[in-house]
Amino acid sequence: MFLAIRELLFAKTRYILIGLIMVLTASLIFIISGLAQGLSADNASSIQELQADLLILTKDAEGELTKSFIPMGEAQEIVDNQGDEHASTLAIRMMNATRNNSQQQLDIAMFATEPDSMLMPKITEGVSPTNQKQVVADTTLKQEGVKLGDKLTIGEASYTVSAFTSGQRYSHTPVVFIHNQGLDQVNAIAVQGDAHVEGSFDVMTKEDALQGIPSYSQEQASLNMMIIFLYVIAAFVLAVFFYVITLQKREQFGVLKALGANNSYLIQGLMGQVVLLAVVCIALGAAITVGIGALFPSDMPFHLELVTMLKPAIIMMIVSFIGALLSLYQVTRIDPIEAIEGAAA
Amino acid sequence: MTLILDHVTKTYTDGPNRFNALDEVSLEVKSGEFIAIVGPSGSGKSTMLSIAGALLSPTSGNVLLAGENITGLSSKEITKRRLEKIGFVFQAAHLVPYLKVKDQLNIIQVLAKKRVKHGSDLLTHFGLQHRLNNYPNELSGGQRQRVAIARALMNDPQIILADEPTASLDSKRGQDVVKLLAGEIKDRNKAGIMVTHDERVLSYADRIVTIRDGKIVKD
Repeated sequence: MFLAIRELLFAKTRYILIGLIMVLTASLIFIISGLAQGLSADNASSIQELQADLLILTKDAEGELTKSFIPMGEAQEIVDNQGDEHASTLAIRMMNATRNNSQQQLDIAMFATEPDSMLMPKITEGVSPTNQKQVVADTTLKQEGVKLGDKLTIGEASYTVSAFTSGQRYSHTPVVFIHNQGLDQVNAIAVQGDAHVEGSFDVMTKEDALQGIPSYSQEQASLNMMIIFLYVIAAFVLAVFFYVITLQKREQFGVLKALGANNSYLIQGLMGQVVLLAVVCIALGAAITVGIGALFPSDMPFHLELVTMLKPAIIMMIVSFIGALLSLYQVTRIDPIEAIEGAAA
Repeated sequence: MTLILDHVTKTYTDGPNRFNALDEVSLEVKSGEFIAIVGPSGSGKSTMLSIAGALLSPTSGNVLLAGENITGLSSKEITKRRLEKIGFVFQAAHLVPYLKVKDQLNIIQVLAKKRVKHGSDLLTHFGLQHRLNNYPNELSGGQRQRVAIARALMNDPQIILADEPTASLDSKRGQDVVKLLAGEIKDRNKAGIMVTHDERVLSYADRIVTIRDGKIVKD
């Protein structure tokens, strides 16, 4: 590292410039990751957080929750077979609601289940519903002005918001948990542990069910594609930079080898530079992303935690190593004879 | 004997043509002896210097460095021999552009994994004590070549090889540099080989070896 550090300090400008590109790329990767996770949560956190392992759908729904219709009687039978501590019916309806008889229409996703169901979410504010007319709403509904005790009119019926929960969104709308009484069909039966059904039913995991949410996989795929492209770009930018720098330093490497520097010393120096550059740039990119994230409006679907930043950071490090490989190869190929003018035949 | 080239041949193949850059060359250089190698371009003198400096391995023949035959050694071992036994003074100094003068010498000890750095003593000896913290581009050509000589002495080598040390200098500075080099080789009892075109500096050499078409024609 004796040489590596001194060179970084001497040729500050060029390393700062390449560093800037790396910082921007890292920031963009973090921001898009945050957006992908935010959108994923906005679209499906209610399914991701569902207190169940498996979902039973009708076969002809082909994995799409909202296309699966199970008559209540049949659903109840399955629940009884599974044991009702480990199974609940689930009906999902995209609905409009009005608050306290105002004209404003609110988009909500209605999740109807048994009142004592395992699917009822953890309450963050208020008290659990005690009768069929009380509901639990996702906390994001507060942004539309809904408060505890407000009256929500959904379809024909009126309910009172008795509690709020958090992290329960479905198809970019807040979820309202409601008593399932009076429903004649449900979409699925949620099961903890193993599920045993036959005939016209399918058992799928929650992860599979996510793919059946409208636009979920398309949204994630397009964002993931951007992220993958950014990784590739980062690798190429680093590869080209170090390739050109190594070409430029060919003579120097020749001289150093003639003086007795072996390949492993020179490679350590180069890798040291790559690691230093990558670590500093990824850290700066992360810091910038956290700063920008704090400026985003609260209803923007942006979700980034330290743990979830770790994965892109590690991939960026790996990608930087891959980018440096070409230059490593070059360094090993340089012949010390190049230090002697006219001797390299 | 510090350096012996024993019937050294270096053959290059260019398609169907084979060409001997060096043809059965034998040479002995003793400690404290400074020899100059002269000859026209393409005569093989750079090839000879490269083989003597363990930068190139001969096609046939043996190279003995301080009594050890280095021809069969692995490239890792040969790199180690260069670091420990050989000092180089290159054309145009070939200093590392991003190292301060003191670090130009310290790098040798870093590579040799030695703790003690006596680079500043050597630089003082060469009258460069005021230039320790300068980069090569802040030095004159003569100063650069003096740093290069100090660097060549840093590892206390058995032999010192100089490749056209006066090429980038004017006549006066060129003479000064070769005079300095010759003096150090004598004082420190090293074996010295210099490849040069510059006839004005030949008077500092103990022996002049003329090479033509890969053969020594005059010694």
